[in-house]
Amino acid sequence: MKNDNLKIAVYICHCGGNISDVIDVKRVSQELATYPNVVIGKEYAFMCSSTGQDMVIEDIVKSGINRVVIAACSPALHEATFRGALKRAGINQYLYEHVNIREQASWVHKKDKEGATLKAIALVKAAVEKMARQDELNTIKVPTTQRVAIIGGGIAGMRAAISSAAAGLDVVLIEKQSHLGGKLKRSSAIYPTNETAASVVETLEGLIELNAKIKVFCNAKISSISGFAGNFQINFEFDEAKTEKVEAGVIIIATGFDHYKPYEGEYAYGLSNRVVTLPVFIDIMGTSAEKKLIYDGKTINRIVFVHCVGSRQIDGIDNAQDNGKVNDYCSRVCCSSALFTINKLKDKYPDVDVMDIYSDMRSYGMEHETYYENASKKDILFLRRPLEERPTITPLPDGTFSVKTVDVLTWNEELELIADMIVLVTGMIPNEITDLLEYMKIPRSSDGFIQEVHPKLRPVESANKGIYIAGTALGPMDIIETLQASNTASSKAVALLSQPEIHMDPFVAVVEEDKCSGCGLCPQECSYEGALCMRETDVNGNVKMVASVNQALCVGCGACVAVCPTRAINVAGWTLDQFDAMVEAIAKG
Amino acid sequence: MTESVRPKILIITTNHSSYPGANAVGQARLAYDSNTYILRVPDPVMFPEEFYLNAFEKGIGGIIIMSSGSDCPYEGAYPRLSARIQNVYNKMKAKNMDINRLKLTTICTVCTESFLKEVANMEQVVSK
Repeated sequence: MKNDNLKIAVYICHCGGNISDVIDVKRVSQELATYPNVVIGKEYAFMCSSTGQDMVIEDIVKSGINRVVIAACSPALHEATFRGALKRAGINQYLYEHVNIREQASWVHKKDKEGATLKAIALVKAAVEKMARQDELNTIKVPTTQRVAIIGGGIAGMRAAISSAAAGLDVVLIEKQSHLGGKLKRSSAIYPTNETAASVVETLEGLIELNAKIKVFCNAKISSISGFAGNFQINFEFDEAKTEKVEAGVIIIATGFDHYKPYEGEYAYGLSNRVVTLPVFIDIMGTSAEKKLIYDGKTINRIVFVHCVGSRQIDGIDNAQDNGKVNDYCSRVCCSSALFTINKLKDKYPDVDVMDIYSDMRSYGMEHETYYENASKKDILFLRRPLEERPTITPLPDGTFSVKTVDVLTWNEELELIADMIVLVTGMIPNEITDLLEYMKIPRSSDGFIQEVHPKLRPVESANKGIYIAGTALGPMDIIETLQASNTASSKAVALLSQPEIHMDPFVAVVEEDKCSGCGLCPQECSYEGALCMRETDVNGNVKMVASVNQALCVGCGACVAVCPTRAINVAGWTLDQFDAMVEAIAKG
Repeated sequence: MTESVRPKILIITTNHSSYPGANAVGQARLAYDSNTYILRVPDPVMFPEEFYLNAFEKGIGGIIIMSSGSDCPYEGAYPRLSARIQNVYNKMKAKNMDINRLKLTTICTVCTESFLKEVANMEQVVSK
C-alpha cells in the first residue's frame, strides 16, 4: 500500500512496573517518537485502563492519528480492547498493531535490562513498519441459514441437538444407523449416576421426539458436503433410496468413536471365547444370571482384567495399526470404566475373585478415586506392571488361563495367576469417517481423532469456521465430558448464528488483480475446495486470468502466498511486504 | 550480553500454538536471551523460500520456525511447510551456509521446556 499521510502513534505501557521495572519505557517511547511516520511517542502506567484508552482516542481525534502501535502485554489479553478504542475513535480497528513486551520481553529478560530495552525498541519499530503498510480491513459479512446440521445421533449429537433447538435454532440430526443413541444404547449402568444407559438414551429420544425444531434422519449416508460458515449444503441418502439436501449455517460433527479390537493372539484374544473386551464384558454383566456368573458354559470364579489394551502402545513393542502408527495415546476413560465395572461385578458376585493388572491407574474424574478405594475394600488384587512389560496369557488344557506378569508393587516379582476369564480393558479409537473429513477438509490429530484448533484456547472448533466437533470424535472422553463438549459446540453454534449475518475476521487471502500473472500456482497449494480458483477478468481493458478468493471458504493459512511469483496474493493484515519490513527493522535494531 | 553485539534470532510462531507457548514461558518467568525476536503468523507455510534467505542477508543470525507440526489445524499446511524448508536447506547448502541457522520445530502452547531448549540450541549455533 502507499499512504503519504501516515500519522502513527506509539504508546509504551508500564504495566504498573511489570514492564517498566525491566524495560526503560521512556527511552523506548523517545526513540520511537523520532522514527519515520511516528508523530506521537508516549509511555503510560496502564494503557488498558480507561484513562489509557481515552488518551489514544483523544490523540486520534485531535491529532489525526491514523495508525496506532501499543507495546504492552500479550495481544491475547488486550488486542481486542485497543481495537475497540480505535473503533470508538472513529477509525478502522485493524489499523492497530499490538507488541508484546511483557510475556515475551520484560518477564523473560529480567536480568538483562539493556537487552530487553533494545529488544523492545526493535520490536516496536517492526510494528511501526507493519502499520506503515497496513490497509483498512473490514470484517467479512456472510448471511446465514439459521439451522444446525448435526452428523451423528449418539449421545453427543442428541445432546447438541436438544441444546441447539432450545436456543431456537432448527436442527437436522443425521445418523447412519437405524436408531439414535449410538454406543450408549445398551442395558448396562453408567457412572457416576448408576442410571442405565438405555434410560438415558430414552430420555433424550423423548425430548427429541417432542421437539418440533429437530428433524431426525436415520439410515443416512452423506454423499457430499459443501459451502462455508453460515451456508453449508449437505447431501445424503436415507432409508435406502430417499435423498435429501439440507442447508445449514453450522455443522456439528458428533461421529463418536470405535472400540479398539485386539488382533488374534493379542493377550490370547480370539483363542478362547472367555477372553473378552471390557465393552463385551459390560454387556455380559448386564444380562447374566444372579448368584453365579456363568459364561461360555463355565462357572467363572476368577477373572483377570488387563488395562491399556490398544492404548499407550509403544513403537517397537506393539503392532502398528491400520494408519501405520501405534496408539500411543492414553484412552483416559478405561481405568474408571474398568473400576466401575469391577465394583458392579463384586456387588453382583461377591465370591468371584478379581485381579487387575494395570500400569498407571488413571481414574482422573471427579470422585472416580472412590471406585479404586471401593474396589480395594472388596479385596480386588491390584498388580502394577511396567508399561513396557506385557502380561503373557496362555490358555490351559483345563479351560483356565495362565497369566504371567511382573508386579512393580512387589519389587518386580514375576507372578503367575490362574483365571477362568480374561477381560481386556480396551481403549477408544477414531471412527472411520475419512469421507466426511475429506468433504469438509478437516484434519486429524496425531492420534487420528478430529483436530480441534486448540483444546484450551478454542475448544471444539475446527479450523473451518462454522464446523464444530462434539464428543468422542475429538478424542477419548467419558459421558460427562462428552455432554460438556456437546453443549460447548452447541453454544458456539448458537453464538455464531445469533445474528442474520456472520462477521468473520478479515484475515483471509486477498488478490491484487493488477499484480496477478494468472500463472495458476496458488490454487494448487490450496487444500480448501472452492476457496481459491482462477477466473477470467477485465483489468484495465485487458481480459486475463486471475486468482480469485472465496473469502467465506478461505481459512487464512497462507499456503497460497508462498508460491506467488509476483506477490499478488497475500493474507490480509499479514502480507509478505509487512513481514519483510518487520524483519528489516529487527535486523537493524 | 546484550543484543547489540549478538547475532539476532528470529522466532516464527503460530497464532494457535507456539505464540501462546512463548507467552507461557513468560508467565512462568523463565529466562532466555534477549537477542530473540518473536514474529506471530497465522502459519509459517505462508513464507516463500526466499523469505528466509533474505532474512539472513539482512543480518538475522538464526531462525527458529515453531510450527504446530502434525497438530496444525490447517489442512495440508505442515507437509507443505516441511517440503518448503527442505528446499531452503538445499539453497543454503548451495550458498555454503550453515543449515543449522534455520530450524523447523514443533512447539505447543505449554511446551515451555522445549521452547527454551530450541532457543538455547540456536544460541549455540549463532554464537559460533
